[in-house]
Amino acid sequence: MTTLTIAGLRVAVGGTEVLRGFDLTMHSGEVHVIMGPNGSGKSTLAHALSGHPAYEVLAGSVMIDDVELLSLSATDRVRAGLFLAMQQPMEVPGVRLIDVLAAAGAEPAGLLGRMADEARRVDLRPDLLERFVNVDLSGGERKRAEMVQFGVLRPRFAVLDEIDSGLDVDALGAVARRLAASTTEWGCGVLAITHFRRLLQELTPTMIHVVSGGRVVATGGPELSEVLERDGYEPFRELNPL
Amino acid sequence: MTTFTESATSFISSRPDSGPRGRAWSGFESLGLPTTADEVWRYAPLSELDLDRYLVPATPTLAPSSDFAESLSSLAASVVRVVDGFLVDIGDPVAGVTVDVDTTQSTLGGDDPLERYANDAFALANAALCPATVVVTVSAGTVVDGPIVIVHSANASASLPRTHLVLERGANATVVEYYEGGDGAIVVPVSEYRVAEHASLRLVTYQRLAPTTWHVARTTGLLERDARLSQAVLGMGAHYDRSRNDAELLATGAENELRTTFFGSGAQVHDFRTHQFHQAPRTRSTLLSKGAVADTSRSVYTGLIEIEKGAKRTDARQTNHNLLLSANAHADSVPNLDIRENDVVCAHASSVGPLDALQRWYLESRGVTRADAERLMIQGFFLEMLDALPKSLARLVEGDVSLALASVPVSA
Repeated sequence: MTTLTIAGLRVAVGGTEVLRGFDLTMHSGEVHVIMGPNGSGKSTLAHALSGHPAYEVLAGSVMIDDVELLSLSATDRVRAGLFLAMQQPMEVPGVRLIDVLAAAGAEPAGLLGRMADEARRVDLRPDLLERFVNVDLSGGERKRAEMVQFGVLRPRFAVLDEIDSGLDVDALGAVARRLAASTTEWGCGVLAITHFRRLLQELTPTMIHVVSGGRVVATGGPELSEVLERDGYEPFRELNPL
Repeated sequence: MTTFTESATSFISSRPDSGPRGRAWSGFESLGLPTTADEVWRYAPLSELDLDRYLVPATPTLAPSSDFAESLSSLAASVVRVVDGFLVDIGDPVAGVTVDVDTTQSTLGGDDPLERYANDAFALANAALCPATVVVTVSAGTVVDGPIVIVHSANASASLPRTHLVLERGANATVVEYYEGGDGAIVVPVSEYRVAEHASLRLVTYQRLAPTTWHVARTTGLLERDARLSQAVLGMGAHYDRSRNDAELLATGAENELRTTFFGSGAQVHDFRTHQFHQAPRTRSTLLSKGAVADTSRSVYTGLIEIEKGAKRTDARQTNHNLLLSANAHADSVPNLDIRENDVVCAHASSVGPLDALQRWYLESRGVTRADAERLMIQGFFLEMLDALPKSLARLVEGDVSLALASVPVSA
């Protein structure tokens, strides 16, 4: 059993504090979902966890078991087991995904085959992965290419920043099933950031966390998504005195 | 001891066309080697250039080509072998393609090489001293499957190859010009690419000469109506690597895409010059030059877009990005425009700086180390150049590029 512990995380972007004391603990094999209105700090959390240069960590701690991630480089955070699937994956002209994955430590033997298998699991044409990283891919194809990386690298914990946006219903189902399978295949801990409940139809959350104003304001089981569906985020804003 | 001049005059007098060669040689002698006082030669280490270290060969020095050249050849539709500028193998026959030599020296630059190359001492030396022009002609309407590979090996101390690719009306072909060898040598290639109406030529020039070579190359594309030349130039080797790549867009609808890249290490100098000359309406050129310099190497990119009066609705774009990989490396970028027509779209951009930090972070956030991320991105400059090649051939060149880059310390 591996544990990801985010404690008292405060992060600023462009001098403005966006995450203001974020706490979350989860274990391997669990699915945690972060929901919240625009601007609540969800994407900031994702970027800060993976060391985006524009996000300044002011305080707090992110641990996998007893390893502090915040003092590690972006590279070493992934190697310690934390992977980010980005909301808007970047184009890197001239660089091929297979070379990235090999450089990231994926076993080179059979790598192309594993990439193709993972692509098929999320309804992505494997030949699209021969293009330069994310170049000439649609938004939805990029999301699925992130899932291919996820499936090949098999991280201990994966943060998925709005993996559902840009995907049609069928692709979304395939992605949700891939994520759900990872929790048993290698005990992956899945931390999914989303606006939408539909991801949860095939990816049953262990816990849902509602984020507002840069911190978790409510935590509950799957039933919490029904409350959000019915009442929206408005009632939760009041829980977050500014 | 024989001097360069003695070997040159002896070579010229032995040739059947000694008349025009002699005129080119006189042109070379009266012009003399350039000096760094010439703006366009400012960055060349000309003080190190002593022609008497080189002798003009009377015959090719045959030697086995490299494993890489053999691998390249194994993926080609046909392999033309040129050694020290001498055509030694015309390759397997390909329908609609002829490979021959022209000994009249009328092939390049019109009847008189002194016209086109009057101010270019090295091109004049090539006109005087090349063994013979290697002429590859793709006949009208022929579409060649698979690339034609021209392997240029430089085994003598002086190699002056001259290549003439002719695509007749509607022809379509992919050609790779590959240069290797040249240890302690001077290599002065001159190439012309004549692309007739509606013909399309995809061309990759891969320069992988020894780190001691003086390489002074010049290519000219001559594009007729609706012709298309898509050219990629990869400069990896040589001590001094000068690569001048010009295109003349002679008739309506002609299109030139030129991509050049170089990687400098040690004390190398890469000196890239381009000239896109739009002489007719609705012609298009796009130019992308990307290079990286490490160690104490330096690079120069100088590009001129020239648009003639009357070349209306021309679209010309030029982009140059240079990457500095060490504090002691240096890159200069000099874009120039000469536009004599108003009704055109013309853009240029240039930069000298580090790698894109967010792209690098993205790769790092996949678990790639910073050094590997930078190496992949630099290698990417070259990989982007190889689009025109069939996948198997592109992969082969990619492998060679990454091998060459692997040994260089990089800290962007």
